[in-house]
Amino acid sequence: MAATAPVSAFPSPYSIETPPGCEGWEEIYPYHAFFAPARREKDENRFWFWNSMHFPLPMSAFDVTCIDGPYQAVGAWQNRVFAVPPAMGIDYRVVNGYIYISGNPVTDPAKIAERAEFFQRRAGHYFANWDELYARWREKMQSLIAQITELRVPALPEYEPDEVMFDDERNTAFIDVLDAYQRTLRLGELMWQQHFEFLLLGYGAYATFAELCKNSLPDIPDQHIAQMVAGIDVILFRPDAELRRLARLAVESGAHEAFIEGRTPAEIEAELGASDAGRAWLEELERIKDPWFNMATGDGLTHEYRSWLDDPAIPYAALIGHVDALRAGKQIERPTEEILKERERLAGEYRELVPEAARGAFDELLALSRTVFPYVEEHKFYCDYWFLTRWWNKLREFGALLARNGYLEDEEDIFQLGRHEVAMALDELVLMWATGGEALGPHHWPPIVRRRKEVLARLAQWTPPPALGVTPEAITDPMTIMLWGVTTQRVQEWARSQHGDSNELIGAAASPGTIEGPARVIRTVSEIADVREGEILVCTITSPAWAPIFSKIRAAVTDIGGVMSHAAIVCREYGMPAVVGTGRATSQITTGQLIRVDGTNGVVTILGNDGR
Amino acid sequence: MSGAPHARPLAELRSTDADAYGGKSAGLGELIAAGIPVPPGFALPTAAFLRFVEDAGLGPAIDAELAALSVADTRATQASAARIAELIRAAPLGDALRSDLARRYEELDVAEQPPVAVRSSALGEDGADATFAGAQESYLWVRGAEDLFTAVRDCWISLYSAEAISYRANLAAAAAPAMGVTVQLMVDAAVSGVMFTCNPVSGDPSVTAVNASWGLGLAVVAGEVTPDYFLISKVTGETVRRTLGSKPFEYVAGAGGRGAVRAEVDEARRGAACLGDEQLAELVSISRSVQRHFGSHQDIEWAIDRDGVIFIVQSRAVTAVPGAAAEAPTAPLSAMSLVMGTFGAHVGEG
Repeated sequence: MAATAPVSAFPSPYSIETPPGCEGWEEIYPYHAFFAPARREKDENRFWFWNSMHFPLPMSAFDVTCIDGPYQAVGAWQNRVFAVPPAMGIDYRVVNGYIYISGNPVTDPAKIAERAEFFQRRAGHYFANWDELYARWREKMQSLIAQITELRVPALPEYEPDEVMFDDERNTAFIDVLDAYQRTLRLGELMWQQHFEFLLLGYGAYATFAELCKNSLPDIPDQHIAQMVAGIDVILFRPDAELRRLARLAVESGAHEAFIEGRTPAEIEAELGASDAGRAWLEELERIKDPWFNMATGDGLTHEYRSWLDDPAIPYAALIGHVDALRAGKQIERPTEEILKERERLAGEYRELVPEAARGAFDELLALSRTVFPYVEEHKFYCDYWFLTRWWNKLREFGALLARNGYLEDEEDIFQLGRHEVAMALDELVLMWATGGEALGPHHWPPIVRRRKEVLARLAQWTPPPALGVTPEAITDPMTIMLWGVTTQRVQEWARSQHGDSNELIGAAASPGTIEGPARVIRTVSEIADVREGEILVCTITSPAWAPIFSKIRAAVTDIGGVMSHAAIVCREYGMPAVVGTGRATSQITTGQLIRVDGTNGVVTILGNDGR
Repeated sequence: MSGAPHARPLAELRSTDADAYGGKSAGLGELIAAGIPVPPGFALPTAAFLRFVEDAGLGPAIDAELAALSVADTRATQASAARIAELIRAAPLGDALRSDLARRYEELDVAEQPPVAVRSSALGEDGADATFAGAQESYLWVRGAEDLFTAVRDCWISLYSAEAISYRANLAAAAAPAMGVTVQLMVDAAVSGVMFTCNPVSGDPSVTAVNASWGLGLAVVAGEVTPDYFLISKVTGETVRRTLGSKPFEYVAGAGGRGAVRAEVDEARRGAACLGDEQLAELVSISRSVQRHFGSHQDIEWAIDRDGVIFIVQSRAVTAVPGAAAEAPTAPLSAMSLVMGTFGAHVGEG
């Protein structure tokens, strides 16, 4: 097809070359995930941006489930239930393993009007009954979490037990294994459905309040709007609050000597286990682990993100920081009363500054934003952290089953197969268990897994452009703006940065102040423990789960994200500069470089090559 | 007022004195009353000028000059202006006025021959009228009674600048021009500038916009340097935006502390911020007091002396507030229809 690429600041999605050694990467992904020739005319004329917020690394085959699931769910609610008038769902494409997304707009005015009627009625119902609906939502989520926790991955026994023979209600193991796998997938889909039920409305209420403020007060910093809305006792703050409490307990009971920078959690726990105070402290730790250690090690929707239960490196790093701060005589508890007082003061002052005709709406929208805020924050804890980390672990159990039978070399390898491939492998596994025949799986899957791991490792070295396709004149899709913080201005900045290799990166000013220091670039969760006192954190997106390490760093810079993110709020509470949504900080900055973060103006400057 | 028109301390003036003393003097009196730090000074009423013209019998000569004049002829207008200036310069000030001025001057400060700033204080301070009547004229670092007399005359002369003459000639019914004079102790400014109690471009009332440069305020007012620009949140006091300017020179006191001269700014200071957080906070706090006192947005000139003390030297109402404030909604907004609008579900007007 001789389609001519439109002129744009960003490359055509059809012009991206495969990095050497990665040829054939496409076989990892489903057939529908590509910039295919059949869609070229449309796809080349759309604006696509890299969703580094959720998928910062090349996707492994199984993790595509966490692209399909969310986009099935978000589209179902947005397009088919609420019928958001100008926006249907979100399309995704995979390029060299990275995920690019683009919204499908509704442009026909008649269609928009038709959808508006649905939307007003349905969204109106949710806003009017928010607290009640949200309480039901929490119950449902807790039930889903209980179900995934309790779901049993059956073994394949040599002989079925007597019950199968003598009880009516028993199935043989081949049914149980296939059932359990399908059930695991289904629970994941149900979670994604839950995840997006309120999200659009929650963000929308907030965005409306923000817009009202900005229309009257164009210079109001985004962070002040977020401060007026942010809640104090949302559960996302609890895990870190518990760590602070535990740190104080350690210092007060004399168990603090065990917390030494550089020690592993196991070493610390071993020392604690040797004293009465230490053992008492460990008991208290056990007591709060459920639910508060169900935090994930990051915001990404991939299997690499484990929970604090699985990998206590983050909470222990935080505990060390908190203990040190306490022993230096610092106050480590969040000054909640002051934060609350400041929140009310800001709201009162800004209320007086907006025009009289807008004051009623200001009050109502602020109240509505505060009503929806807990959900906006808490859905992450229930869905992305608590449920998802357990769900990945459940899949590891299937991985172990396949590994025990030689289909995989390691349980983790299950994530190198697509979810339908896993179903195929399990099909053969139970077939061979039933027939006693010779399995091909152990010959078939391991080479595929090895090759895919190699390809993904190479693809991880490739830096994806922030966007592909045509540069839009304006970003109007409410979801793109609200969920990803991708605004017209941000896209223009990305476009400018495509040309020229300036040492300056522009982003959103998320927390004021200017500071210089050595950068610590974090692209994978496993690097989090490397963060050292006094460094500036540079990452794709900061996660609330990382909040504890904020006591160590001096500033934060992210590729993507908005100023209402939990992490931005934490930065402000620590009084630490932050610039978010730079689009390319992790690809332009290297660990050790001296950088300047100007959180007042949203500018990051690379000053030199060695900050030490 | 009894007898000859006389000067009065600025602190005694209020806005109701604008007709007699001109807008600038009356405005400064108001600021002092509101507790705003203003350099001490005194004001000469417009009547002093009228009396001076009358006593010296200049009226007929000036009238004759103006009557014969065709303002379309620029060169002739300039020549006329020059001749009127000469008339004013040559006429005696009158003993009463001289001793009144000298006494007020002496009272200003314990120092011998304190430096003062002499400015015209026109009627209708805000309008174009003021601009053309030379309301921007300032004589800085004036020392001694004799120099003060000269500066007062120079202010009056500016009333008959070529520009002012042509401007008035184009007005349908121009009243006889008159002008007050403001005399204030000179602020030996390390830094000075202008601030608005709203964003002058967007109209956002939640911020104070500050322009600042080294030395006296001349450089900023005349737009001769690119000043530092700060946008400060009135709500939290934090700097919302900051752009450092390029300030290659500054105005400072001339030799012997007389007159203002332009001086090079050393390399290191040119691009450096000339205000710190504490000074900005203090400026914003003052700007809020001024705004509260006048009940409207203000355009404020300020200066910080070499001891770090902030003074306000002028405040005017911002007459045209642009942007957001101008487009403020008139009918109450409905929260739910705004939310619907966010999702592109625009409710029919109602």
